[in-house]
Amino acid sequence: MDKLELFFVKRYLKTPKRNLFRFAFVFMVLGIILSVGILSAGLNLFQGYESNLKSLLLDSFAHIGIQSSYGDLISEQDTETIINQLSQKTEIISAIPSLEHPLLGQKGDKIRAISLRAYDFDREFPYQKYISGGEGKLQSGEVIVGHYLAEELGLSIGDSIELNYPRFDRITPLGIQTAQHRYKIAAIYRSGYYESDRSLVISTLSDARALLLLPQGYSKLELRIKDADKAGIFASEYSDILGHEFIAIPWNLYAESLLRLVAMEKWLIFIVFSFLVLIAGINVISAVSTIIIEKRSEIAVLKTLGASPRSIKRLFALRVGVVAIMAVLIGQVFGALLSWFVEKQTFYHLKGDVYFIDTLGARITFPNLLVVFLVASFLIFLCVMFPLKQIEKMQIIDVIRNKH
Amino acid sequence: MILSAKHLKKTYIDSDQTIEVLTDACLDVAAGDLICITGKSGSGKSTMLHIMGLLDAPDSGELIMGGKAIEAKSPEAPMIRNRDLGFVFQFHYLIEDLTSTENVALPLLIAGHSEAKAMARAQELLSILGLSERLRRYPNQLSGGEQQRVSLARALANSPKLVLADEPTGNLDPTHSKEVWDLILSLNKGEFKQTFVIVTHDVEAAQAADQVFELVNGILIPA
Repeated sequence: MDKLELFFVKRYLKTPKRNLFRFAFVFMVLGIILSVGILSAGLNLFQGYESNLKSLLLDSFAHIGIQSSYGDLISEQDTETIINQLSQKTEIISAIPSLEHPLLGQKGDKIRAISLRAYDFDREFPYQKYISGGEGKLQSGEVIVGHYLAEELGLSIGDSIELNYPRFDRITPLGIQTAQHRYKIAAIYRSGYYESDRSLVISTLSDARALLLLPQGYSKLELRIKDADKAGIFASEYSDILGHEFIAIPWNLYAESLLRLVAMEKWLIFIVFSFLVLIAGINVISAVSTIIIEKRSEIAVLKTLGASPRSIKRLFALRVGVVAIMAVLIGQVFGALLSWFVEKQTFYHLKGDVYFIDTLGARITFPNLLVVFLVASFLIFLCVMFPLKQIEKMQIIDVIRNKH
Repeated sequence: MILSAKHLKKTYIDSDQTIEVLTDACLDVAAGDLICITGKSGSGKSTMLHIMGLLDAPDSGELIMGGKAIEAKSPEAPMIRNRDLGFVFQFHYLIEDLTSTENVALPLLIAGHSEAKAMARAQELLSILGLSERLRRYPNQLSGGEQQRVSLARALANSPKLVLADEPTGNLDPTHSKEVWDLILSLNKGEFKQTFVIVTHDVEAAQAADQVFELVNGILIPA
């Protein structure tokens, strides 16, 4: 920036009302604010969706699940051995054995496929924070039911649900023999992750074993670690430690593709919404062209006084640029307010069966703010520079002659 | 010699009609000269001045400055216009969004001087031209005569070798017109010894100049 450009920038900032707040800029500024606002809000909401989904996935499932390599149950003795083997691993927050089995849940003539998960409630229950009604500590004969499952079967706390275990090992001429037990609903589980809320039934270990006719053992050891993003690395390390009998499976083996899809959608939306900024750029082109026509004499004077066309172009670019950058920043604030409003509104909810989670959340991150700022500024910069070519073509003598 | 214009020729084409504005215009400007060019409207006075100021290019002929040929389209032209030439037009061409001081400081800033130095020099010039009370005024807050004096101060900012003035009083009432002429004369005859080439249709006022030329049929004739 040379002395002349620096002088003008200082002048613009010192007296913005006189130099920057011009009628020609009104629609340009509005267009930028709106487009950048929508772009920011879209990105904030997708970021929020991605973060919420990931967070719910991480909260709803073990970060690393240790299972038998052969699909058998892990004995209680082996479970203790594994816990001891991994006890030196400081990254592990908790190690909770669980039993999991698909079953059928029934209330009257309504039947739904469910996933039974059983924990030793004297040990540790990992989903305490998702208990939305009732007691999170179960007694024998009690279960916790997912929110949507309860809704679909018309159940509430205090009601009973029948869990059916089809015994495929006992097929009689009358059909498949089914083990049935009735449980009292002690609490409702609501995480916001639709699949869990629609299918999960949680019971005590003893009840689950009784229903499934299992004397002892667990289906997996659920590990939660400090940095879930490193689950893959740690899982591989634990598999090596535990030998061929057991396998450590990281959470992202199942969920990574879903999260990648969501991230890809986020950037696709970003690209689509970036076109809005380009459309706003048409207003920028128009505003810059207007100001060039309006300031023909000024351009001719500066050229006469010896300023180079390049320097004059930069002066105009800075003048419009300062306004455009302010509009981009205001647009980002508008986007933040818009995403906050969308998050707080109560008249629209996500359909959990379509979008996995049922709440809209926004998340503003510095990298996203920076990306929106840089992309919007770059697109607007292109739109500013395009009409400035006229300055090079403008002949001093034409302006002076026309004034005569 | 500060500037020599040799055999300048310039034609315009206006709807199939070729107008020969300058046919063989020659002019030598020496340091300290005050030269007036007069002529009828449309005789090419302004064109002559624009060519001498490197704002327009002749069809043929040449301009010599400091022993070197100079051209309007050469890369050096903006620098020559900034450092060696000053311009005053009939319309003041001041930048509306800048104060008098800032307008006068522009050629200095373009030349690369610091803002502080440029503003100090601008204030000094405006004070010399009797505008010390108008330093922070915007052009629309000044009278026509004051605007033209600011314009003159701007032309003098880089202490140019030559100031080219195109009808500097053409847009002023007689009182302000005399004021500006007196100022030009004092700048030429006083300590500045500023060289001027002035285009004017005011033959009476032009008589105060050292040399007066009339542009007739594209040729400069001593009047």
